[in-house]
Amino acid sequence: MPVDYVETLVAQKGAGFVFDNYQRNQFLASSDPQAFKMPDLKKTGTTICGVVCDGGVVLGADTRATAGDIVADKNCEKLHKMADNICCAGAGTAADLEHTTKKFAADLELMRLTLHRTPRVGTAVTMLSQHLFRYMGYVGCALVMGGVDPTGPSLYMIYPHGSTDRLPFASMGSGSLAAMSMLETGYKDDMTIEEGKKLVSEAILAGITNDLGSGGQVDLCVVTKDAYTMHRNIMAPYPRTRIPKPVMFPTGTTTVLEEVKMLKGRLEVTDADVEMRDA
Amino acid sequence: MGDSDYSFSLTTFAPSGKLVAVENALAAVGAGTLSVGVKAKNGVVIAVDKKVKDKLCDTSTIRKVEPLFTNVGCTFSGMGPDFRVLVSRGRKQASLYHLRYEEEIPIGIISRDCAEVMQEYTQEGGVRPFGISLLVAGYDHEGPHLFQVDPSGAYFPWKATACGKNYINAKTFLEKRYNDDMELEDAIHTAILTLKESFDGVMDEEAIEIGVVGEDRKFKVLTPAEVKDYLQEVE
Amino acid sequence: MSIFSYNGAALVGMAGKDCVAVAVDKRLGVNQFQTISANFQRAFQVSERCFVALGGLASDVQTVHKEIAYRMKMYSLREEREMEPKVVTALVASMLYARRFGPWFVDPVVAGLDKDNKPVLAGYDSIGAKSEAHDFVTGGTASDQLFGLCEQFWKPDMDADQLFETISQCLLAAVDRDCVSGWGADVFILTADGTVTKKTLKVRQD
Repeated sequence: MPVDYVETLVAQKGAGFVFDNYQRNQFLASSDPQAFKMPDLKKTGTTICGVVCDGGVVLGADTRATAGDIVADKNCEKLHKMADNICCAGAGTAADLEHTTKKFAADLELMRLTLHRTPRVGTAVTMLSQHLFRYMGYVGCALVMGGVDPTGPSLYMIYPHGSTDRLPFASMGSGSLAAMSMLETGYKDDMTIEEGKKLVSEAILAGITNDLGSGGQVDLCVVTKDAYTMHRNIMAPYPRTRIPKPVMFPTGTTTVLEEVKMLKGRLEVTDADVEMRDA
Repeated sequence: MGDSDYSFSLTTFAPSGKLVAVENALAAVGAGTLSVGVKAKNGVVIAVDKKVKDKLCDTSTIRKVEPLFTNVGCTFSGMGPDFRVLVSRGRKQASLYHLRYEEEIPIGIISRDCAEVMQEYTQEGGVRPFGISLLVAGYDHEGPHLFQVDPSGAYFPWKATACGKNYINAKTFLEKRYNDDMELEDAIHTAILTLKESFDGVMDEEAIEIGVVGEDRKFKVLTPAEVKDYLQEVE
Repeated sequence: MSIFSYNGAALVGMAGKDCVAVAVDKRLGVNQFQTISANFQRAFQVSERCFVALGGLASDVQTVHKEIAYRMKMYSLREEREMEPKVVTALVASMLYARRFGPWFVDPVVAGLDKDNKPVLAGYDSIGAKSEAHDFVTGGTASDQLFGLCEQFWKPDMDADQLFETISQCLLAAVDRDCVSGWGADVFILTADGTVTKKTLKVRQD
């Protein structure tokens, strides 16, 4: 193994992006743009939304993740816990959402430990929007972030380029229009948490039904002054209608050319001849 | 004269093989307030004397027991400012570990991370060693752990230990009190009694600080009210 | 054509009761239609109870495998224990995301058994979006076909024999409808007692 390879890895001890492959990939892409189309990234087509209620916020999301036209995950989690008092719903590039929210959840925790204060929602929003602005939209996160802090409950939208909005109710993702139609008709000021949960569920349901990029189940998260409550799969509006017949392939259906059993021990599968080692 | 001839640079060995700066750092630890740690069957406790001599000082803001991550925390004997540097390094390491592996950092690993930082400061030019000994207490996949990290960068696992002022007496006391099937509550009492042995003046809930971690793997700094309850129990 | 179909691959991981299986094809193609090898390795046993299978660009398959192996070795030296499959899934995600803006063109599938013999399964895109599954994960150019087949044939609580037949039949049917994968296949079955059974399947070579 070349030494600089190890050095590169060792240098990667910290966080941050690695651009080693960037040039190579650009070269591959430019050599024949037709042949080297960049790969489909996993997206969350997504319906996410939230409302501010009396004494808390309710956020909701569907659970479908897509790669192109394929449903890559039927039950993924789009509600991310940022802190004990802040929840974040994400739409956009799946990897960016997962890792960006995780990174900032860690940063907020470090901040909480240093300052001995629970972080404010506005702080989290600023941190995220500055990060997204710096990456000029290439980090594909569209977020609805809500929480409760000493200033009361609040709800924000953050766009992939870093702009933010503070609103009493919000929706994002490909199903945002469907969700917004429900929010616009159903929202009133100072709803109870229960009313909020109902409205958010209906809005997500509208996305699941009418937007093809969204689907699966409804996830809800309720944040109040005292509690962070996650309701995973609170609604399953469209259960499987096809019941797979319990097909049994009798043992021996598949033709096996060679079988090697390894009892506890490392397997080296470089060739057809597999070394056998004792336990 | 003797060692002082070799203290022109902090990171130069004396002919005897000593590193003067490290020895001096240990002296700073010895002059610091007493801290104790006791490992029980089902958890660990660390406790520290945080009494301030000056009556005018607002002691409510002084913190000597700090969490590093959900499952681990630490305290120290020696110089407070140095402690804060290590705490922030330790927290960063723990947080990075969690980001990478989605697991809580093992106590041995975070102790080693702190020890690594302390070792660097015994060898690098233009710096001085840390003037503290760190007590790291936590609970991981293997169970409860208590580590002590010294200014030299050496670190050891303990069943029970003490450092700072009067640590020899404290250790003798712990040797007598300690047994292997101690429960966490016993360990807390033992830690308090150890501090009490050599305590200067009145020991109340403002004068000590206690950190506890049990089987739930949640490191907690006890509130003054909780400390008060424990103090009454050992009366 | 995407760069992912340059070499071709079919991978699937599937959960059974106290067992887990990985099935991969063995074709290495160039420029889609020329077959270079029918014995290319793309499933790797990275620890006693964990497999990583990699689809995508063959050179990146090998590099990423080396990097995973290196990181896991460093981890076990540092921590004096083997990496749990759950941790492997996290490591792969963070490794891939570090190269968010210059990715490896790989499509990984991780399958293992944890301490309680529960299957651990995860699939990723090339920049580390992890999706965990309780039933099956697929990857490679035949992943669309595999999705359909597994949806139909997977059932809960299969024993090791049933799991083998199911995963094999799914893979064989999938590569029949993907012209850049197939030519040979290996199935690895990992059971609770730590035994790994490797079965080499008879596959059409066209």
